Amino acid sequence: MALIEVNNLSKTYKKGDNVIYALRNINFDIQEGEYVSIVGKSGSGKSTLLNLLGGMDTSATGGVYYNGKNLLEMTEKELSYHRKFTVGMIFQSFNLIPTRTAIDNVKLPLIFSNYPVRLRETRACELLYNMGLYNRALHYPSELSGGEAQRVAIARALANKPKVILADEPTGNLDTATSSEIISLLQMFNKKHNITVIMVTHDKETANRVSDKTVLLSDGEIIKTTVNQKK
Amino acid sequence: MKISDIILLAFNNLKRNTFRTVLTMLGVAVGIGTLSSMVSLGRGVSQNISSQMSRNDLFTGLTISSRDFGFDSSPQSSRLLTTERQVVPLTDSTIYDLEQKDEVAVVFPELIKPAVIVFKGRSVNANIKAVPVKMGGFYPFDNIKLGEFYSSESEPCVVLSKNVLNRMGIYTDKVSSEDPSSVLMPVDSVIGADIEIITKIFDIDKIDLITSSKKQLPLKNDTTILRVKGIVETNSFSAGIFSDGIFLPTKTCEYIPCIDLQNVYDIINGNSGKYGKYNSLHVRVKEHSMLKKVKNEAEADGFQVFSIGDKLDDFERVFFMLDSILAAVGIIALVLSVFGIVNTLLMAIYERRKEIGIMKSLGATSSQVKLIFYFEAAMIGFAGGLIGVLCGKIASAASSRIANSQLENFIDSNIEYFTYSWEIVLLSVLFSVVVSIAASIYPAGKASKIDPLNALRRE
Repeated sequence: MALIEVNNLSKTYKKGDNVIYALRNINFDIQEGEYVSIVGKSGSGKSTLLNLLGGMDTSATGGVYYNGKNLLEMTEKELSYHRKFTVGMIFQSFNLIPTRTAIDNVKLPLIFSNYPVRLRETRACELLYNMGLYNRALHYPSELSGGEAQRVAIARALANKPKVILADEPTGNLDTATSSEIISLLQMFNKKHNITVIMVTHDKETANRVSDKTVLLSDGEIIKTTVNQKK
Repeated sequence: MKISDIILLAFNNLKRNTFRTVLTMLGVAVGIGTLSSMVSLGRGVSQNISSQMSRNDLFTGLTISSRDFGFDSSPQSSRLLTTERQVVPLTDSTIYDLEQKDEVAVVFPELIKPAVIVFKGRSVNANIKAVPVKMGGFYPFDNIKLGEFYSSESEPCVVLSKNVLNRMGIYTDKVSSEDPSSVLMPVDSVIGADIEIITKIFDIDKIDLITSSKKQLPLKNDTTILRVKGIVETNSFSAGIFSDGIFLPTKTCEYIPCIDLQNVYDIINGNSGKYGKYNSLHVRVKEHSMLKKVKNEAEADGFQVFSIGDKLDDFERVFFMLDSILAAVGIIALVLSVFGIVNTLLMAIYERRKEIGIMKSLGATSSQVKLIFYFEAAMIGFAGGLIGVLCGKIASAASSRIANSQLENFIDSNIEYFTYSWEIVLLSVLFSVVVSIAASIYPAGKASKIDPLNALRRE
């Protein structure tokens, strides 16, 4: 059984009298431990699809099933649980809280998940250490480089040990070298910890290189799904 | 999410904009300070009056008379005033009957004589009043600091009210700044000194003056010399008989000759002896709760009875109204400060919109977001409440001091106009927290409804 099943997923919005399809009849499966890239031009519906997979948005028709449970029919509490424990989200603009230090940003999801207080510090330090940011733990986001900030964001996304990482253009604001570092990190967590990674990107080449599967979107529709033989 | 986490998050959020937080707290402090001061003023005034009245045994005292007091408004009494009432005379057996009651502590007849007092070359008009030796155990005679109370009903001595002494311009502690003729006399020179009591008596030799063209009363002076045994300090709340005057043992007072105008009036009206030996009796019951029973029994016996204690419920109603009015003033001030809290939190939501979105994307529930805002408001309320109560207490103490210094010539003792009990302090802070949380309901609800997707999209 697939970890994630997307069935006939459609999302529309109104512009005047016209109904615009942000997504139209999307169907695909994602297996546990897969690295999936969603590729497409701007406005193709990549981020909309990722937000629906993350439970950030539920105003759509069809179904997004995680282990058989439809996200679109979940209560607010169930969606919070999903965002807390099932998925970890990474954004293009990092979305770190500027008034909290790196370690405090990593600890934030642990607070919401009632992680034991005495173990939080250790868990956050361990994650920052794995990201090579142990010495930046007490720095504020404004004192970090783009790559460092995104690594803190990855550490934060992994805090509650999610099964799935949803990355929305994680390298969009980074230079090539730093982008490679971030992609390598995601690959490492995918391979080493069997974490499913769903990444939205513009970069087809990188997507094909690192992903098990590439989903190509255009005007809200899947126009091609490529299964890559090699990572 | 643990309570400690919420407190920490809320504290950090407030710390982020310290100046705005402090201003909001001060707004709450002003509201709570005003509210607690007003409530404590209401409490203080009512407690002062009640305790003074209670200390002066006003709630345990009764006056019994055969005559109509003329101011009792009870329906029964009105009926009796307009129709012919069966008069029961006050006699020694009335006193005896009252003394036999378990509820009664002291009974003594009212014996008051007008006189001119001459002491140390100074004179003043004052009433001499018979007070029995057994009143030595009751206020104000139970705590005579200068000299002592008499121990025999026929002792040739007096206990002076400090007011009478002051009216003569004699002071034992410090001279009055308002009376240039006042003198300071050591206590030793007052206690044990002789005092002249000049009363008016009929002069038989001048009885024809009434009918003569001179229209003079046939009166002459009679002088009695007694010794000052003590000085009693009374205050403005002291029951009428003890508020001012010169107090003598019963027999000593009876020996002093003086015309009894009430008696003369009764003779003229053909009522001689109708009302008995005494004009009225003063009764002290052991506890306030016993007052009604004794009063009812005396009324059933046909006497007219008056007691302030009977009006306790009326006093309490007035005090409750006073408390309510003052509390309303404070609540208005607090309501104004509530707007400050609402404003602060709404501003915070506007500023932290993206942050709330991030928290929700990390799994924070709407109720967790609400809780953070409730705690922020509660912290503002708690700190503002504490500061308010503290400032209110300081301002109240200063006001009391100023009021006492301004009124020192009119009021005998220092009065605490504000009563800041622990109960008021705790309730004020608690009220401040509750009101602050109530003020945060709308902003917190607004924050919890923030859509994470929209919040994160707004860059």
